[in-house]
Amino acid sequence: MNPHAKPVKIVMIEDDEGHARLIEKNIRRAGVGNEIIPFVNGTDALNYLLGDDRSGVASSGRQQLILLDLNLPDMTGIDILQKLKGNKHTKRSPIVVLTTTDDSREIQRCYDFGANVYITKPVNYEGFANAIRQLGLFVAVMQVPETA
Amino acid sequence: MLISDASKIAFVRTTLAALLLGLTALIVIVLFNLWLVHEAGVYSERVNAARLQRTAIIDLQNLILDAETGQRGYLLTGNPAYLKPYLEARQNSEAQLAGFMSIMNGDPLQKADASKILPLITNKLAELQQTIDLANANKRDEALARVKTDLGQALMVQARRLFSVMLQRSEETIDAAVRDEQQSIATLRWVTICGAIFIVIVVGGSTWVVMLYTRRLIHAQKEIGALNHGLEERVRERTAELGRANEEIQRFAYLVTHDLRAPLVNIMGFTSELEESLKVIQSAFRSTHTSGEVNPTDGPAAEETRTAVLEELPEAIGFIRSSIRKMDRLINAILKLSREGRRVLTPEALRVDALLKNAAANVQHQVAEADGEVEIEAKVPAVISDRLALEQIFGNLLENAVKYREPQRPLRILIRAHETPGRRIIVEIEDNGRGIAKADHERVFELFRRSGDQSLPGEGIGLAHARTMMRNLGGDITLASELGQGTTIKLNLPKDLRPLLAIQNGVNP
Repeated sequence: MNPHAKPVKIVMIEDDEGHARLIEKNIRRAGVGNEIIPFVNGTDALNYLLGDDRSGVASSGRQQLILLDLNLPDMTGIDILQKLKGNKHTKRSPIVVLTTTDDSREIQRCYDFGANVYITKPVNYEGFANAIRQLGLFVAVMQVPETA
Repeated sequence: MLISDASKIAFVRTTLAALLLGLTALIVIVLFNLWLVHEAGVYSERVNAARLQRTAIIDLQNLILDAETGQRGYLLTGNPAYLKPYLEARQNSEAQLAGFMSIMNGDPLQKADASKILPLITNKLAELQQTIDLANANKRDEALARVKTDLGQALMVQARRLFSVMLQRSEETIDAAVRDEQQSIATLRWVTICGAIFIVIVVGGSTWVVMLYTRRLIHAQKEIGALNHGLEERVRERTAELGRANEEIQRFAYLVTHDLRAPLVNIMGFTSELEESLKVIQSAFRSTHTSGEVNPTDGPAAEETRTAVLEELPEAIGFIRSSIRKMDRLINAILKLSREGRRVLTPEALRVDALLKNAAANVQHQVAEADGEVEIEAKVPAVISDRLALEQIFGNLLENAVKYREPQRPLRILIRAHETPGRRIIVEIEDNGRGIAKADHERVFELFRRSGDQSLPGEGIGLAHARTMMRNLGGDITLASELGQGTTIKLNLPKDLRPLLAIQNGVNP
């Protein structure tokens, strides 16, 4: 990781606290120590990422990676994806869609809207843990641009 | 208003009756005409006969007059040249009298009078002959005296009266015959007019009935057309509604299974975490109890701890895990069905027999292992349908036939395919396998339901899946089976999938 860069923060938008906990555990097991900022609903997450005025200025100058679940109580992950990729401040932040859906149309839609990675949570826990750990390893080596 | 059977019968009866009436009228007219023609012949014969009578009467009268004229001329002049008319009359008299009598023979009244005239004529002729004979013998005075006796005159007066009676009678006969003939002509005219009017009425009536009926027929046809159109419209609406309902169910199934998965991930995940933690505890326990046995002096609590850590917890975790796996399989099955339901079908021209052969080839290995054989009798035209769905259905059914075979006998699978009216294709897959109990005939098509002995692995998805796909293709799947004898699966699918898709997409085909 670029030593001059600010530490990358991982923004985790996941309504299921169990999933959030399992994800965090496995990322930590991969040796990733970055700060994880969890949100359990879309509104709070957008408030943080785009600010209360939704201008996106709030994210200005941050280095962040977003883990996004598609099934949220107050909005769909797709809405958040569109808003983030449509905003000039947040469009460069990598978004990893991490969800249970493996429907091909859903996957296509996410990539169409600019998702960087789409990962299906395997029900099988070994698979799940493995996927998250590998994601952690991936996060450890990837370059995250600073937002505009 | 549709035309009832009773009104159809009434129509046929009315038309037939009118036809018969017209025909009868025509026959009556023709017969009457024939009779009248015959009558006319009779009348003209009567007229002819009367005319002959008249001529004969006049001729005979003239003959006598001629004879008398000749006699008078001769007696007056004494010149034999004047005797010529008499001589001619005298010569013809016999033949003419015979002719006269024969003509009058057919008429009793005339004959009676003719018989009266005959002696008068004979006498007159005899009187004439006598006077001429006297004149020839130069006894002219005697001859004249004879004439003056008025005997001949009296004969002539009598004869004239009779002649005029006979003449009158034949005139009357002619008049009567002519009158009768005119009468019959008038009758013929009236019969013809009446018959014609009758025929016109009958024909007009039947034409009216036919027109009425035709109008009702056309009306009924229009109504049927409208109904038909309405029906098609309704079918289209229902199909679209069904399509929407189906879509909703698929969507529901998708959402439910999807949402069920999320907690399952947690259960699975934390179970694993639990297991990891348990391993830590177990190793800690083992490190203090190297023998794996609890020291009796530790008391009952230590023994309980050992059972919990080494036996109960691993067992509980094992059950949780296997249940999760099972639940995951079920959820995946529902997902698969809902995904199949949502899949966009691509209609293309397919050869059913080729698809069947292919499916049979795919199970050939297992069939050969079971010492079995697959026979295909497929004489069907190409269909327009979804290849993937048909391949999956055929494959699925053949796999079932192989899987649920009766091990006691060699496997026989017979596949028949044929076209039925209504542009549909029937495919029957008959096996001699273990069969399905009657109570389960419908149940086996339900998701997660299986029939009979459960020793073979399976989720109870195959037939449910096949039914979903068949219905997506606008078809259906049914079965006939006898437990222990075998099963026949019957597929019924439309020859062309496109109209159905057009309806589902809300486009008029």
